[in-house]
Amino acid sequence: MESSDGEAIDKRRVHLRPVTLRDPAPVLLHLLPCEVLVNRPAPVGLFFTPAIRQGPDGLEVSFRGRSLRGEEVVVPPGLVGYVMTEEKGEVLLGKQDFSEGLQDDEQEEQELVEPPEALERDFDRFIGATASFSSFTLWGLETIPGPDARVRGALTWPSLAAAIHAQVPED
Amino acid sequence: MAAGVDCGEGASARQHVFLVPEYLKDASKKMKSGLMFVKLVNPCSGEGAIYLFNMCLPQLFEIKVFKEKNHSWFINESVQSGGLLHFATPMDPLFLLLHYLIKADREGKFQPLDQVVMDDVFPNCILLLKLPELEKLLRHVTEEKVNPEIDKKKYYKYSKEKTLKWLEKKVNQTMAALKTNNVNVGARVQSTAFFSGDPVSSDKEEDYIRYAHGLISDYIPKELSDDLSKYLKLPEPPASVPNPPSKKVKLSDEPVEAKEDYTKFNTKDLKTVKKNSKMTAAQKALAKVDKSGMKSIDSFFGAKHVKKIGKI
Repeated sequence: MESSDGEAIDKRRVHLRPVTLRDPAPVLLHLLPCEVLVNRPAPVGLFFTPAIRQGPDGLEVSFRGRSLRGEEVVVPPGLVGYVMTEEKGEVLLGKQDFSEGLQDDEQEEQELVEPPEALERDFDRFIGATASFSSFTLWGLETIPGPDARVRGALTWPSLAAAIHAQVPED
Repeated sequence: MAAGVDCGEGASARQHVFLVPEYLKDASKKMKSGLMFVKLVNPCSGEGAIYLFNMCLPQLFEIKVFKEKNHSWFINESVQSGGLLHFATPMDPLFLLLHYLIKADREGKFQPLDQVVMDDVFPNCILLLKLPELEKLLRHVTEEKVNPEIDKKKYYKYSKEKTLKWLEKKVNQTMAALKTNNVNVGARVQSTAFFSGDPVSSDKEEDYIRYAHGLISDYIPKELSDDLSKYLKLPEPPASVPNPPSKKVKLSDEPVEAKEDYTKFNTKDLKTVKKNSKMTAAQKALAKVDKSGMKSIDSFFGAKHVKKIGKI
């Protein structure tokens, strides 16, 4: 979502396509205890996944010759995981939306009323969910990340946030 | 909609790993558009932050990012550096409205909301005006006036008294959540606690208040956080920093029709406030407290802690 376009970003809206949230394919996710400095396709299913073993204390695998220990971490209840990817060619998609607006008039069975004014502008961008998950595998170097691991702390945040942002009763 | 869009060779599109409330998935079934990420002001720091709007519900979500050194994702048949985990959690829009109400309060008069929520830097703030039940929300933090003879528009003015009352309720409900979630808020557990007669020490409640106050303070400006700490009677430091009274006296001594133009006066005033609030009384008190067991939101998401993991 970050961009180097400077000023424009503060006006820009990045639209998340609701249709992509409905039923994206499940995804296999691993959180590794090391930084791989590129974003690109990798033959995970050829080298990594087939090497995972169930050991006496959790899952075992090795990556670049180092031994990793891990376990499945389930997404907290009430939450759902998505992998989102930005779309390219936003101008075309923006125009497509006008025709969608026309269709809206005919489709009256829609339960929620669409916001009346145009929320999408020419310079906006679009993002969509490409996959969903309900758990991921958390890996540590040589040992499973313990209960104090910061990822685990972060996963308790949504329940705390709910209390901070819940409406308070009026006097 | 294939998972992991491959670009053949080289770098591919950035992938973001998100956790969002399940009901967003259900809501998405009934909508074609209206979900969007926008940059708005962070009500604590005044800087930019990313939020998610659902214009159909309508509802505001805050985006927080978990970030720790030396992490990456394997996402199906691809690698994504950084290992970031984004959280979208519902946010009380009143914290953001408060930012604008406090800013507008310098003019000291009742104003309609669309004149209060204006921002050259973050123009998307007008989306806040579309959220439901704003009038009900604003009652917690403002005085309001209606002039039925001219129009039905409501005019609002920030009320510090009401806001502090509202924030106290927020602190209380956050404390309750901390207790049910068993968040470790206390200072170091001492072995005597296991052997002495009273298992719950008296200052434990205080730890919860202080922790909850810290969490809420991430959503309000520094000055208000200090006022709240006084309001909650969080312990003052024994040697409190004497507020420089000279400045204030001087200001009130000056005639109301100051020779300087008003804007100049404003910026000057702001500067002194900022200087004074570098480390306030409450903060100094906190600095003396053993914070070894305390965490703030940042500890979940920031990357302060560098774990010693060798390069693999």
